[in-house]
Amino acid sequence: MGFPTAPMVTIAFKDLALSNAAQRGMPHERICFTPHPVWGKTDEEMYAYLEGNDPVSGRPLMKEVIGALTNPLTPEELKVGEVSVSTGPETFADTEDNLQQYYIDNGMTDFMQIVLPTQERVAAMLKGTSHKPDEMVGKMAPARGSYPEWSYTVKQVAINAVMAGAKPEYFPTILAIAASGLTALSSSTNSFAVAAVINGPIRDKLNMNYGIGAMGPFAQPNAAIGRAWTMLSRNLSNSGIPGQTYLGTLGNGVNYNNLIIPENEKASPWTPLSVQKGFKPDENVVSLFVGFSIAQGQGGVGLGVKPVPYYHQAIAYNCTPFGPLFGALIVLDPLVAQGLVELGYKTKEELADWLQKNQTISAKDARSTLFGSRWVPDPKTPDDARIPYYQRPDSYNFVVVGGQTNPYHMVANMSYRVSVSIDQWA
Amino acid sequence: MNRRNMLSLLGISPALLAGESLGAQKAKKVEAPSSAGQIVALNPKGLPPPIQLVPMAKRLNSLEGKTIYLVSDGFPGADRFLAQIALWFKKNMPSVTTVYRLKAGAFADDDPKLNAELKANGNAVIMAIGH
Repeated sequence: MGFPTAPMVTIAFKDLALSNAAQRGMPHERICFTPHPVWGKTDEEMYAYLEGNDPVSGRPLMKEVIGALTNPLTPEELKVGEVSVSTGPETFADTEDNLQQYYIDNGMTDFMQIVLPTQERVAAMLKGTSHKPDEMVGKMAPARGSYPEWSYTVKQVAINAVMAGAKPEYFPTILAIAASGLTALSSSTNSFAVAAVINGPIRDKLNMNYGIGAMGPFAQPNAAIGRAWTMLSRNLSNSGIPGQTYLGTLGNGVNYNNLIIPENEKASPWTPLSVQKGFKPDENVVSLFVGFSIAQGQGGVGLGVKPVPYYHQAIAYNCTPFGPLFGALIVLDPLVAQGLVELGYKTKEELADWLQKNQTISAKDARSTLFGSRWVPDPKTPDDARIPYYQRPDSYNFVVVGGQTNPYHMVANMSYRVSVSIDQWA
Repeated sequence: MNRRNMLSLLGISPALLAGESLGAQKAKKVEAPSSAGQIVALNPKGLPPPIQLVPMAKRLNSLEGKTIYLVSDGFPGADRFLAQIALWFKKNMPSVTTVYRLKAGAFADDDPKLNAELKANGNAVIMAIGH
């Protein structure tokens, strides 16, 4: 900032604060620590923090703050120059069992056994793309803007694809995900999850499952592509180090291999998601989402209405716990999509328009949430005013998938981020 | 975890940050986990950018009579916590003037307008970061 500054951070984020300061070029930054948490404490409790000690130094906190702003700088604090960061040797040599444990112990896996990335296996993976091994694919960080972005080559993505159990024919899809720069292991304390919707003929070419159990562990391409996203996020962007680059307090089981959703285009009465995003129907595309997670949609109001349940009402009801931070990704079995057509929603856009107008919250309730000022920025808005959950219909996205064993849907508080051509990475 | 262990985990040499040259670090050979291995496997890591060391800003001789900006990055509770710091200065160092500001943009975004205001009117910053 160019000013004497005393950053104040709670003790729970000590490792994050110290590592971030080092990576941003201030390894000796004078960070002052308070007890944790601050959020949810009374004014009196917060003042008591100030009268107490810095839990790291053990010295009076406000003395630390004043010292951070007034103590003369040391030679280390004035140092300039460039420092390289090592990620270790290019190869590791040992027995298979030792290597498996080495990769796990050094945080390079999802803590399950991997396929060891030998030269031969990586060479075979590289045959799945026409791109050169040393071509740069993209940049990624545990949270954009908050951490340094790491970059990576086609070969480095291939190493991670091998480790996840992918076949070479899956590699263009994995490269497209990597090229998005979107980590599967966001650093947020919220324990976020991600989703990848896949459209185009590649779904059949790879034998992806978009029928019964599509989002579950029932098909190799779905499973391996999803796992590769987590693996490459961990290794290519330094995401997923608990306490430093991962702060999700509860964690999220979806992070193991993420929500991989090949759209059931044959059974869907609507336009594929990729076409909505500007691609042609015969293009292979992966569209990425990030947000809190996914929840089942049964039990919503309107589902008992006959002869066709009011699925639109049920979707609106099931999105009630959503906040304005992320949009809505609605995952529908084809039977639900067909039911919605019978109710008059001939397109996904018509359904989005209805939801945008009819899914509302009172200004009073919105104000009582964590992000009240974002939802109701005008303090003059009356308490009983109805506020749309989202300002734009395209905050709602729909994907049709599943095996039609029953008309069920799920709702994910997730925002659309980007669509990437898979064909460009073939 | 102490700072030294933290830097080692990040792949940053604590010795280098203490004064060793970049060239000296590059010349070091990193050992593989075992020299008697039957399988050779590749390192899956990406390419971290080099770190540009940033010298810290000149400190003040004293806070007496100075203006300190109390800046929140917008996390819940930070505004109330900074209000308690303002109260602490009022009680314990009344010659200090405190000014509260909410930084614009997302948590990690720069706020050029606020920076200009700090430069014109402030002497130091206390910044509440995170929860």
